[in-house]
Amino acid sequence: MVHPKGDMATKSAAKGDLKAGREPATDQEQKALLKKRADRRSRWIWRLAGYVFFIGIWQFSSTYLVEDFILPPPLTILETMQEIVTSGLLVTHFGATLEKIAIGFSLAFIIGAFIGILMGMNRWWEAFFSDWVLILMTTPGLIFVLVSTMVFGLSYIGPIVAVVITGFPYVAVNLVEGVKAAPKDLTDMARSYNVSRARLIRHVIIPFLAPFIFTAIRYGFSIAWKVATLTEVIGGNEGIGFMMRREFQSFSMAGFLSWALLFFAFALFLERIVLQRQIDRFFRWRPEVTS
Amino acid sequence: MASIKVQSLRKEFVTSDSTVVALENASFEASGHVFVSIVGPSGCGKSTLLNILSGIETPTSGIAEITEGDKKARNGYVFQAARLLPWRTVMDNLLFVQKDRDAETRERCQRYLEMVDLGHTANKYPGQLSGGMQQRVGIARAFSIEPDVLLMDEPFSHLDAITGRSLRKELHHIWMETRKTVLFVTHDVGEAVELSNRMVIFGQGGRLREDMKIDLPFPRDPADDAVALTKANVLRTFEELDLVAS
Repeated sequence: MVHPKGDMATKSAAKGDLKAGREPATDQEQKALLKKRADRRSRWIWRLAGYVFFIGIWQFSSTYLVEDFILPPPLTILETMQEIVTSGLLVTHFGATLEKIAIGFSLAFIIGAFIGILMGMNRWWEAFFSDWVLILMTTPGLIFVLVSTMVFGLSYIGPIVAVVITGFPYVAVNLVEGVKAAPKDLTDMARSYNVSRARLIRHVIIPFLAPFIFTAIRYGFSIAWKVATLTEVIGGNEGIGFMMRREFQSFSMAGFLSWALLFFAFALFLERIVLQRQIDRFFRWRPEVTS
Repeated sequence: MASIKVQSLRKEFVTSDSTVVALENASFEASGHVFVSIVGPSGCGKSTLLNILSGIETPTSGIAEITEGDKKARNGYVFQAARLLPWRTVMDNLLFVQKDRDAETRERCQRYLEMVDLGHTANKYPGQLSGGMQQRVGIARAFSIEPDVLLMDEPFSHLDAITGRSLRKELHHIWMETRKTVLFVTHDVGEAVELSNRMVIFGQGGRLREDMKIDLPFPRDPADDAVALTKANVLRTFEELDLVAS
């Protein structure tokens, strides 16, 4: 197959496409790729415009509307954030929070996946678990935060338990739907060709469940973040939530906002860069060029 | 030589409020280099028979087996829809049903892809192919395991007339070349006359109503007088048997 070479746009488009295991063969595909790139560019422009707009409002309000100690200007926050980063506080406290989330959410995922698959495959188990999963999901996370703090005090275990209990129902509920919708036509096909169970799981079940798993991770993880920081606000002695509480107690709006913004930035990074990459990698088979 | 044996086969589907009998006392045999078409009205259990023969369904009672010599035969199954894994490339779809994944197997898969004129699509995803091309991948997949028997369940019914026609030609060609036993389920009498040298008509519950030889020379053009006449005769038999849905 002839590899198209030409202007910059075509080259990088072709490169991106190679990664996905295809090469743009026809003019039509080429055009579609260029269109996609243009589309991505305008989306970025709009996104940047959003940032300029909202930070502009912030700057305007802090200059003309409210006192600086209530709403410090963006530049002050930026300086405070820089201090937090250079002093090493960022690494210490993000590390502490992340560790809890990593352990807690991993456990939540394993438990949730197990229960979800059980519920999806068998209606007796569904009857057994469904109300309890629903109850856990509708209960505000704050309640588990308070309970786990009362039970485990300031220890390391409390936040993890809270994360597990609030996180696993989201994983379970999403997987139930996925398992129930299992593609019978494909599993039957595999069966008629005597494909082994391991191969069936790896090449049919997991790719099919992937969208459900990613949704589960998205929801579950965002809940885990909230709950983990909340436990630190209430009863921690380290972590992002703990630092927010300290800034709150000394009524330092600048410090508080800096931690909050660093938190947003990190959550955004995880969601948009880390998770999205995995999702793109997993779904590269989806036809992008529709004719 | 592969042989298919179905004897007093019964299959019931039990739902929450009723029992449906799909096959009742179905019996039928075939072996060697034959192309057997099974025709019959919808709901006569012809697809169920293929599903049982391929191991997807288990019979309620009776015998349904395909043997090669004295061991179980390998079956290639072509479905009504292509049933490809959308998240795997064409080549990986073929490899998915293979026992091994060595270089030799890869080469064989590539060869069968080329047989259906799709050698260049090995690294594409099914979603990038047309419906007819996907169906050809399904056919290549069935042949790529070098089966003893080929089971086909209305493989061309979802395609437009022109694509269907060229695929039928292709299938006939491959059948002549590979000399497999083919069991071809269809509700299209014209298609059955064009392709097969034996035609079996099923009534409700998979009861054998008619078993006929079609002794016309290949290749068969549907516009040819002899072929058209045979088709008309079969349709008349259908009416006499009172199988046409009222």
